Amino acid sequence: MTTREILLRKISTYAFAIHEYRLYLDTHPKCEATIAKIRDCEEKLNPLVEEYERKYGPLKKSNDNSKKWTWVNDPWPWEGV
Amino acid sequence: MFVYEKRLQYPVKIKQTNPKLAQIIISQYGGPDGELAASLRYLSQRFTMPIPELKATLNDIGVEELGHLEMIGSIVYQLTKNLNEEQLKAAGFDAYFVDHTTGVYPSSAAGVPFNAAYIQVKGDPITDLHEDMAAEEAIAKHNVFLRLI
Repeated sequence: MTTREILLRKISTYAFAIHEYRLYLDTHPKCEATIAKIRDCEEKLNPLVEEYERKYGPLKKSNDNSKKWTWVNDPWPWEGV
Repeated sequence: MFVYEKRLQYPVKIKQTNPKLAQIIISQYGGPDGELAASLRYLSQRFTMPIPELKATLNDIGVEELGHLEMIGSIVYQLTKNLNEEQLKAAGFDAYFVDHTTGVYPSSAAGVPFNAAYIQVKGDPITDLHEDMAAEEAIAKHNVFLRLI
């Protein structure tokens, strides 16, 4: 795996955990333990996203702060590169 | 409102072209138990769901299914990349190719185009939830069959 893939794999792992916790909260909105777990995961996720976007471009359009519009840059997620 | 994230929910990186497999997996894209049907089912049923927790669940699951749709589309795309004529004919992919080339078209494995009749939206929470459970069970079975390939 490339450094980029390793970083993206870490991001996907934390993002998936957060995603699942949030689905659980939909039916258990008062579960404070789950809300705390999300915060833990976010603390780990946020710096990884910052690093990724700094090195490889924005994951979300709104995070494209460069002078050039890097959002259009290859590769796109489905291309498997 | 939807915001796109430029990554797959789980990475897809296929090294070996395999149009025969693509032809089967495409059913998970636009077939009767596919991800397109799943996302449209939940995103359409949510409007008339009366309970807050279930509005949230249908909404969020419907969105997640779109992420699944993207992963399946990526698999089909990568499985049919750089096809040559020989591989195409040997795999029996020519029937698909004549209509779509290597475009990722929402259809079933047998080539039936996606159809909204695969889903039901009744505006009644109990009826809709029953349809959801039946559909999820069908998807679970379908996934077991996919593993047999």
